[in-house]
Parts: sequence; C-alpha cells; structure tokens
Amino acid sequence: MHNCTETKERLIELVLDGRPVEAAETSELNACAECRTEFDALNMTLRMTSRLSETATPAESYWSGYHERLREKLATAPNPSHAEKQSRKEKLGPLFETMRLCVRTQIRVPLPLALAVVIACLALGVFAVRRTETPVAPSPLLVHVPVQVPVVQEKVVTRVVYRDRRSSLRNSRRAINDDAQTESTFAKSRKPSTDEIPASLNGFKPTDEIKLTVIKGGSPYEK
Amino acid sequence: MADSDTELIKRAQAQDLDAFCALAERYARRIHLLASHYCQNTQDAEDLSQEVWLKAYQAVQTFRFDSSFYTWLRRITINTFLNHRRSNFFRWRGQSTVVQLLPIDLDDSGELVGSSSASPENIYNKLLFENVVNALAELTASQRLAFLLRHYEGMSYDEIANAMNCSTGTAKKGVWRAIAKLRARLSPDSHEPEPLIDLASEY
Repeated sequence: MHNCTETKERLIELVLDGRPVEAAETSELNACAECRTEFDALNMTLRMTSRLSETATPAESYWSGYHERLREKLATAPNPSHAEKQSRKEKLGPLFETMRLCVRTQIRVPLPLALAVVIACLALGVFAVRRTETPVAPSPLLVHVPVQVPVVQEKVVTRVVYRDRRSSLRNSRRAINDDAQTESTFAKSRKPSTDEIPASLNGFKPTDEIKLTVIKGGSPYEK
Repeated sequence: MADSDTELIKRAQAQDLDAFCALAERYARRIHLLASHYCQNTQDAEDLSQEVWLKAYQAVQTFRFDSSFYTWLRRITINTFLNHRRSNFFRWRGQSTVVQLLPIDLDDSGELVGSSSASPENIYNKLLFENVVNALAELTASQRLAFLLRHYEGMSYDEIANAMNCSTGTAKKGVWRAIAKLRARLSPDSHEPEPLIDLASEY
C-alpha cells in the first residue's frame, strides 16, 4: 500500500545520499504523481545547492593571497607549545601555584616542636585506625506498632447498710443471709415500719456513683 | 614527491610553520567552502576559515592520529562555527539580499575570471548563486550547519549529532527543515511546499 508520507521521508534520504533510484522506487514514483513532483523538486533544490559550491569557489589567484595572509597570522600567533602551556596554565593556574608554593616554601621549625607534631600525628593516625577497626554495634531497629490496651473502667458502688444492734442474734444472722440475696439490704432496711416515719423521695437525685459503706454495730438513730 | 599528511603533521608538531602551511594549502578550499556556505559573506568566510587554521595550529600537538587529519580539522571547524554563532561574530546579513559576488568573480587585478560577465552562463550563475545564498540565509544557523554537514560533507546523522552536541533526532530534524525551506524557496513549484514542511515539522 503506497503511503505518501513514508515515501517522502525516503525521498529526502534518497536525494541526499545521491544514490541511483531503484526499480521499485521508480515504479512507486510513477504510480503517485504527488511523490514524483516532490522527488523532482527535491532533486532540483539539491542540485542548485550543489552548484553553489562550484559557483562560490574563489578563483585560483585568490588562494595565493589567502595563504599569504594565513601565514602572516600563524607567524604572529603564539607557537603551539607555548599556546598549549598557556591554556593549561590558565586552566590549572591557581591550583599549581598553590602546590608550587607549598613545595618551595621553607619554614624553619624547632626540632622538639617538629617531633611533637610528628608524634601527635602518629597518635592521631593510630587512634583513627583503631576507631575504624572497632565493630560498630548495629543500632536496634525501631518499629512502631500500634497496640490496643484494654482500659478497665472502675465503678464505685456505695451502699449503706443499717444494722439494728438491739435485734437478736437470729435477726442478725438473717440480715447477713439477706445480704447475699438479690434484694438489697438497703432496700430492706428502708422498708417502712410502723414506728418509722415513711421515707420520701422528694429531692432525691440519682447519682452515677454509688458508694457502698457497711456500717456495723449501729443504727441510723445511734449517735 | 609531496610529503604525506602524517609527515607534515609530525613536522608541524615540531613547530615547523612551513609544514603546517603545506597542510593548510591541502585542506583550505574545503574549509573555506564550508565557511562561505555557513556565513554567506566572503570576508567573514575568510576570517572564519583562517581562525579555524589558527586554532588548528595551536592545537596540532594534541592530534594523536586516531582519525584522519581532515576529520580532526572538521571538528575544529564545527566548534569554531558554533562558537561564533553564539558570540554573534558575523556581520550577519540575516534576511537581506546583499550578496558580495565581486571577490568570487574577480581576480586580484580586478579582471573578471573566465568568460565575459554578460554571457548568459555567467548571468545564470550569478542569479543562481544569489538565489541559493538568499535561501540559505533564511535558515537558522544550526539548520544551515546541519544541512551543510549532511549535504556537502556527507556526514551521517549520528556524526552530525556528535559534532553539534545534540541528539540524532535534532540533527535529522534540522536537516529536514532546512531542505523543506530550501525546497520552498528554490523549487519551481514553490507555491506548494506544504507537504514537505509538514513532514519536517513532525520531527
């Protein structure tokens, strides 16, 4: 299947390479008028630019003057080795200057001070070597894991139990037994009797906290 | 018997100016041709090509015979072109149609070279030259350089990309766009340049 875009891509390279057109390409160009026009135009364009080389080439007499001028320039230019040294010097100049200064500079140092400096350097070196040889304990790996901890909510139950001292031992035993029962002793103790003033719930406010206090050996009216 | 390139290069490396000038005489035309196509001005072309030789002379000791002398020299030429493009060295004509034909058609004494200037062939050559130079002037510097290297030097896209320090795709795009522009400017049916320009714009 003929594709003009692909063919034109190939045509550019074909014309640039300057190789002869193959039979398959010729038949392709003959089959498509647009590609043929493009090929001819490209050929014409590159032929014209090629002829520019022939046209733009200066006459022979020009070259003698050209080489004379070039020779003059080269003769006045710094010679290759000097230019190379110069460029190197410009690039690495500051570094080399510092190094040269270090090498050439002579500083008079007293012998004991020099020995002390050498010993200090050696000691520092040994210390550094030993320090690098010391195995370093691997640092513990810290992993953060969220843990759920159950929180016990305490509830304080306060219960007031009244015990009649004057009651008989039998009654006291019964009271102890009643304590084990589901009905609260407090409720039993608050049962209205004939000789008691009936309790009123006026002004009673239930509270969240109940404090259970067992008072032994007393009655509500005992002081 | 003429000395070989290798012999001349070794002598040039030993600071023999005559040997280097002999080398210059061998390759000066090719370098000058590239320069004249690149900057479209005879004086600039001479300045540029002589600067190439000056740089080559100062760097000849770094030549290690890894490649041919011309390959090495062409590398210096391309770098010189690129550096001058960056520094706006050229007396850039840009889109103008000023073409200096005199230094090409006249010799040093001012006499016309070859046939009479009124001959049809000479007039045709002048018109052709002017047309092509103007068409090349419409290209960007990088497109022109890529086109010159591909068309006149026969370099591959990889070599152009390596020399111009860009990707192969960029080099290819530069050449194709240059051809599209030249075709639009120079071909007889220049009223229909769109297909090739569209093709080049895809890259």
